[in-house]
Amino acid sequence: MKNYLKLVNFEFNRIAKLFAVLLGVTFVIQIVGVIVQSRYYLSMANELIYEGMLSKVKFLENYGHMSLSQIVISMWFLVPILLCVAAVGFYIFLIWYRDWVGKNTFIYRLLMLPTTRLNIFFAKITTILIMTLGLVASQLIMLPIETLVMKSIVPKEFIMDITLNQIVISMPELRFIFPNSPIELVIFYGAGVLAVSIVFTAILMERSFKWRGIFAGLIYSAVAVGLTILPLLLNVIVFNGFFYTIELFVLEIIMGLLVLAGSILTCRFLLMKKITV
Amino acid sequence: MKKYWKSTAIIFVIVVSIGSFYVNSATSAEHYPKFVIQTLSGNAQEIKPLIIKGSYADTSSMTYVNTSLAISAKGTTYESRSILDELVGNPPQEIKRLQEKYRTFMRGKGFSGELLFENKKFLAYANVDSGSIKSRNHKFEISVLTKEDDIINSFKMDVPKGKEMDYLHVEDVQIIEDKLYLITDNIISNNDKQYEEKHIYTIDLATKKIIDHEAIIQFSRSQEHTRIDVQLVRTSPTKANDHLILLKTENKVSEDMETTSEEVVSQEIISYNIETKEKETINIPGLRLGGNQLSFYDGSTIYFMRLDGRDLLVTPYRLADDTVGQTYSIQLSGEKGAVSEPITTVIDGKLYVASSQMNADLNADIIVADAYTGKTLFKGQVAVDGSSKDNSQFDLSLYKLFVN
Repeated sequence: MKNYLKLVNFEFNRIAKLFAVLLGVTFVIQIVGVIVQSRYYLSMANELIYEGMLSKVKFLENYGHMSLSQIVISMWFLVPILLCVAAVGFYIFLIWYRDWVGKNTFIYRLLMLPTTRLNIFFAKITTILIMTLGLVASQLIMLPIETLVMKSIVPKEFIMDITLNQIVISMPELRFIFPNSPIELVIFYGAGVLAVSIVFTAILMERSFKWRGIFAGLIYSAVAVGLTILPLLLNVIVFNGFFYTIELFVLEIIMGLLVLAGSILTCRFLLMKKITV
Repeated sequence: MKKYWKSTAIIFVIVVSIGSFYVNSATSAEHYPKFVIQTLSGNAQEIKPLIIKGSYADTSSMTYVNTSLAISAKGTTYESRSILDELVGNPPQEIKRLQEKYRTFMRGKGFSGELLFENKKFLAYANVDSGSIKSRNHKFEISVLTKEDDIINSFKMDVPKGKEMDYLHVEDVQIIEDKLYLITDNIISNNDKQYEEKHIYTIDLATKKIIDHEAIIQFSRSQEHTRIDVQLVRTSPTKANDHLILLKTENKVSEDMETTSEEVVSQEIISYNIETKEKETINIPGLRLGGNQLSFYDGSTIYFMRLDGRDLLVTPYRLADDTVGQTYSIQLSGEKGAVSEPITTVIDGKLYVASSQMNADLNADIIVADAYTGKTLFKGQVAVDGSSKDNSQFDLSLYKLFVN
């Protein structure tokens, strides 16, 4: 356990700089977005009220109050979030391959550590999870700060006060990133961990068997995904909707856990017996 | 400790930020207004069994997020968007009751009431399995539960002349004695001519064979300058009825340069006896229904409904002795004399009417009346509960009435 925690800490420190850069870029782009959008709203209000002779009430009726939920649906928010998603996706591969490049291949030292090799796998998958949740948590902290910035630009009577929860609801595309309840959080991020474990297995297969391993990895991924959605497929094709959705959900969770266990065992085998440096 | 500060810090941020987000959303969930049914006159007991389903949208921030809700005499419940609720599903009241009572039988039966039939002895389900669209390999899928001994009988059979049909779907299922009747809507292509028919199939439950089938009515939907529409008059979907009420409407389509407009030319009301297969035309002088879907058949009486300005005009017609009741009117509140089509249903001789729209300027009425005489038993309005945060910009649409 202690070795595992040490490894997690070690892995996280290795990406801390990248992580900080991601946070910084996201924050800067979003703050710029808040300023630009607030100014735009304000200039529109100015133009219509003072030059278009529209009353304030009429203006609010037609164009709505200003709130952060109007800003978060713009590109200023979506682009940095997608950037973070892409960065995490890229790092899922890099977290392994960076250990193999360079003069003194680092994986050699990792594999020589006096601890079970499976800890390396667990440490890396935990790091990916921490990185993802860390970005989500930081975004949740940024939103109130951005609300403050907006309030300092737009006069009070044009602003509608909404809660953090309502801001998040106004981004339905991001429902998978900010689930609505703790249970959903566990389900969505659990599915994420499952997906990452499948990718890790494929990577380790490639590292173990080189070219042949790529095929093995692809086949493994296809089989694992197939197994995971097997209950859904069977219910539609064979059983003709026999199961109630809640039963299907339980079956899916069991299947997901089985596939996760399968991936972990395969990785353990590969790390102990087959990995080449 | 110094080398651990980064990971400790990020884990602290994760726990505090995500934790407080969910704690906050749990405690501040009450930002939706509470709608209540206010009694204006009559007996408030009448709306006890009533549930109105609809959706609420806050229009003050241009986000247009709709939330489903149910309003009853007890107040308002909003459906949470949580995934678990979605997994359990939110079937209509009637289906929910059947799923709880006959869990095994209701497996894979979906949420459509018109595919189901229930009486004291049987619970039946019928649907069409069409396979791939091109193959025209239509099959009836039928399941019958005998309540007494809890035996489920499921069987499949080819649709007679199914090869000529592009498409068919079940519109009603009935059992009278030990015969099952399927009423379907078939779209038939024959020698490049396409027409539609309402068809009835009689299935003997003992032998599981189709013993008889016939077209109730045949029509081509669109001809030059006319459009013909035949619909079954609404009824309680799972209930036993021995008659079908069909409404055939002929519309004249006039096309201008830019717009097409339709005008009802003629309308025919046909009652069809399922058992004897006798057709009868119902003639009510002066009845003009137009294109609405308001009319309702409760098994013994047809309630013809139409809107005239702000009045809902109801003409009851008793099938057993062919008598036309007195037409009565129910006034609804609306904007500038016009109202959108209300939602209606008739259960146990009582007519339930609710407006379909409500906002800050527009009231939503809830009216319960004796369905045959029109005597108002309850009159009320949907109102925002005083203790809720007042918001003047919202849209409430109501789309379905349930009476338990």
